[in-house]
Amino acid sequence: MKILFFGQLVEVVGTKELIIEGITDIHALTSSLHQQFPLLAQSKYVVAVDQEIVSGNQHLHENNIVALMPPFSGG
Amino acid sequence: MKERTPKNIFIQGAISSAFIADSIQKHSTKTDIGGHSIFLGQVRADEIEGKKVVAIEYTVYEEMALQKMHEIREAVFAEYPLTCMHVYHSLGKVAAGEICLFVFTSSAHRKAATEACSVLVERIKAELPVWGAEILEDETHQWKVNQ
Repeated sequence: MKILFFGQLVEVVGTKELIIEGITDIHALTSSLHQQFPLLAQSKYVVAVDQEIVSGNQHLHENNIVALMPPFSGG
Repeated sequence: MKERTPKNIFIQGAISSAFIADSIQKHSTKTDIGGHSIFLGQVRADEIEGKKVVAIEYTVYEEMALQKMHEIREAVFAEYPLTCMHVYHSLGKVAAGEICLFVFTSSAHRKAATEACSVLVERIKAELPVWGAEILEDETHQWKVNQ
């Protein structure tokens, strides 16, 4: 599954994109990422699955694209 | 209402005054318009711990931003009797003093144009997945926070 990072999160994890396999839901994904990147656990972000912001947990499929997005600051 | 497809709103670098002037000029043939409203966002040279902001570098989740902008555009067109709506946002580096956001609405009577323009600016800042890194004069940066 493709995981995208944006804004300051690119610096927190050191990459714009990761491929992670064997993850079945958002909670499992974020706890795995928080373990791998402890600073990510302290960062504020929302999760989008296939470009839709998701609140709470959700089942994930291998072909989903998951984005971790810090607070928007356009304009 | 005619179907609209997502338009690209992103421009690499600053939005030039010539581009804005040209955009205004193009409306002279649309004689049902009675009022335009324009918002221009400009990069401010804030001072952060004694260091000046010299530029903002914008990045985006482009597919999502264009889809979201399309939804905002449809919602604002549905709510206000607008003749035209144009939105342009910079990507990449924009120096302090340059224009990074151009929102342009037109309607038969002024109220729809001014209100729609204001709603658009607020929604763009709150809902588009765009991030600005404020580049400081010593080449370090910090991440912009929208108020």
